[in-house]
Amino acid sequence: MNKPELIEPFENALINPAEQVRQWKKENGSKVVGFLMTDVPEELAHAAGFFPYGIINGKADLEKADTHLQTWVCSHARSSLALALGNKLDFLDGLIIPQTCDTTRMLLDLWKQVQPLPYMDDFRLPRQVDRPSAKNYLVSELKRLRHGLEQFSGCTIDPESLKQSVNLYNQNRKLMRKIVDLHAQDPALISSREIYTIINGAMVMPREKVSELLDGIVKALEEQPYTEKDREPVRIFLSGTLLEPLEILDYIEEFGGTVIGDDFQNGYRYIESDVVLKDNLIEALAERQLNRIPSAAFDIEHKPRRIFLSNLAKEKKARGAILFHIKFCEPENFDSYDNLQAMQKNGIPAMRIETQFGRTGLGQLRTRIHAFMEMVGGGSK
Amino acid sequence: MSAKNIFKTATLMKEIMARYNNAGKEAKKNGIPVAWVTAVFPVEIIYAAGLFPYYPENYGAVAAAKKIADKLSSAAEARGYAQDLCGYARCGIGDAYADEHPIGEILEPDLLFCCNTQCGSLPKWFEVAGRFYNAPYFLLDTPRVGLETDELCKDYFIEQLHEMIAFIENFSGNTFDFKKLSEVLALSNEACRLWNEILDTAALKPAPFGFFDACFHMAPIVTLRGTQEAVDYYRALKEEIDERIEKGITAIPEERYKIYFDHIPCWPRLRWFSELFASRGALVVASQYTHSWAYSFDLERPLESLAENYTHEFVNRCFDYRVQRKINFMTRYGVDGFVFFSNRSCKPNAIGLYAKNKLIREQTGLPGVVFEADMSDLRFFSEAQVLSELEPFFEQLT
Repeated sequence: MNKPELIEPFENALINPAEQVRQWKKENGSKVVGFLMTDVPEELAHAAGFFPYGIINGKADLEKADTHLQTWVCSHARSSLALALGNKLDFLDGLIIPQTCDTTRMLLDLWKQVQPLPYMDDFRLPRQVDRPSAKNYLVSELKRLRHGLEQFSGCTIDPESLKQSVNLYNQNRKLMRKIVDLHAQDPALISSREIYTIINGAMVMPREKVSELLDGIVKALEEQPYTEKDREPVRIFLSGTLLEPLEILDYIEEFGGTVIGDDFQNGYRYIESDVVLKDNLIEALAERQLNRIPSAAFDIEHKPRRIFLSNLAKEKKARGAILFHIKFCEPENFDSYDNLQAMQKNGIPAMRIETQFGRTGLGQLRTRIHAFMEMVGGGSK
Repeated sequence: MSAKNIFKTATLMKEIMARYNNAGKEAKKNGIPVAWVTAVFPVEIIYAAGLFPYYPENYGAVAAAKKIADKLSSAAEARGYAQDLCGYARCGIGDAYADEHPIGEILEPDLLFCCNTQCGSLPKWFEVAGRFYNAPYFLLDTPRVGLETDELCKDYFIEQLHEMIAFIENFSGNTFDFKKLSEVLALSNEACRLWNEILDTAALKPAPFGFFDACFHMAPIVTLRGTQEAVDYYRALKEEIDERIEKGITAIPEERYKIYFDHIPCWPRLRWFSELFASRGALVVASQYTHSWAYSFDLERPLESLAENYTHEFVNRCFDYRVQRKINFMTRYGVDGFVFFSNRSCKPNAIGLYAKNKLIREQTGLPGVVFEADMSDLRFFSEAQVLSELEPFFEQLT
């Protein structure tokens, strides 16, 4: 099989996620637990026999949420709720929302009011990771979450199943990181759009299937010979809470660029680290969460986000950075100015762009990216 | 709170707040570290540690009341802090970058403490400030609590209080004085008790004191909770209210209806709102906002008790708890209707408000309304729009 054929299932899953989820339900006779991106221990839900499904589609009819959420609430929350209200998530049996901001802290309760599901829980992440209390708390919170999942499934999550799920997710992440690395060595192997299609597609597909496909993709990429190019693409670093819409990647490539790093929840943050296999897997899940790369949810004293990002961009030899901000996303907005300053201080030209789920003007977005690419040495192919 | 109806005690408040502000300015000269704190924060520990607690939120509220939130925000907005961020935060960050300081400069912190029970905007603002002023920052993290008592959150909070005390000791070089904490907690208990007795007088028919009065008189319970000044102040206010009850002086001239209001008031239009309600014979009698400071600490187990009070505060509770709490207030104060303020600046209180409005109307049969504005920024306030939202509500009062 060649590469486009291997990537097609991910594309299709993003275009029409419901179809393959329903198929899975029919085949497995089990339940689907949705989650909002993305700091959720999916491994626990998977080990309980559920299909962890990432709610990701940006093409919702936002007006559907208007009677429940103010127009100035972040469009990710609005579009997720709108999907549910538009019956686009009617295959969900459960929902976990990670509390990473004020909106996600309030959303589950509201969702319960307007579209209750048999299982609904918050994942109450600690908002600091610098002190020992964070780990003690998180371990207990993960146990609480596990207990809820067990009650919903009707059986206990045995350590062996959890180990298998952890292995599967680790393998998935490892393969996706491999693809990212291969792309960094030779951007011509696979496009940026294809990479993020894979990462996002994986969130809405059965994990076992994802593994098979990723294996095939890695093999196909490794077999592909290196081709001499007239000119190397301009290396661009991206940052933000969520990458939306994926067209961003098309425009960057259209104007001679390629994406070599990011910290999006639906990007590198989703795959950057694994759960260490050890006897106490709950503790291992907690450690993975605590050691994740910084995000906008809270700053990390021993690894400040702005320093982390600007160093990473430099390390990846980025010639420019674009900082994305989902409109009305408070945490990201509080970080943006200092992130921008840090990039510029590190000698990386940077700009900010605001997007919205379902509402981004693509023409204007393309124009802005074009202008930035011209500035950092890109241009039309 | 009409102009003719100003409390004598108001003069006293101006004096003690001026003294407090002055003490802040003097603190640095006297070698007392300035500690930024948030409104719902165990400030008792800060007082006991001998630090000067400063409330940047108050700074935001003062800027809002002086109707300059938009001007003060402009230096922040110019740097990309968007208009949809919390108005207090925009004022604070704006002042940091501004060249002009129409209400005086925000007091520069030596260290920053934040508790995120109230919201996620405060910690993000304090992170920005910590970077700007290059001062150490400590977050007391409070995961949200549901309907029931939550031991997990409580234990996490207690462990963090120990971490916080170590953080302060490390900063100051002094051993934390638990005896002093006990004294501060006792003062805090007394101020809270008096404050809540005062708030309760709004249930009298007609009442001598209402929500808009409470907004005017709340500064000491927020900032000076844990000091003798706060106790003295609320004792004086309580006496004055008792006198008013005897003399038959009421909060508004003709009280026909009692109203429940959530949450923070619209500071730049406080008087306009109070006069609007008064003109309809409606006295706003309660809000979970002014009732936030209702702590009761057990001096025998100070840290546990601080954890119980601060983690289980309503702002940190789930939807169902808040609905129940609102209904309890409505019952206790015998209200005829309720008004919910969908405040752009305050997402934790605004999100879910439409559903709460519907649910509470169904459960209580009371008329209720949601209006849209911002607590500090007049660019998001339209008199015509607010009136068009409130008029049909007033007509439903019977």
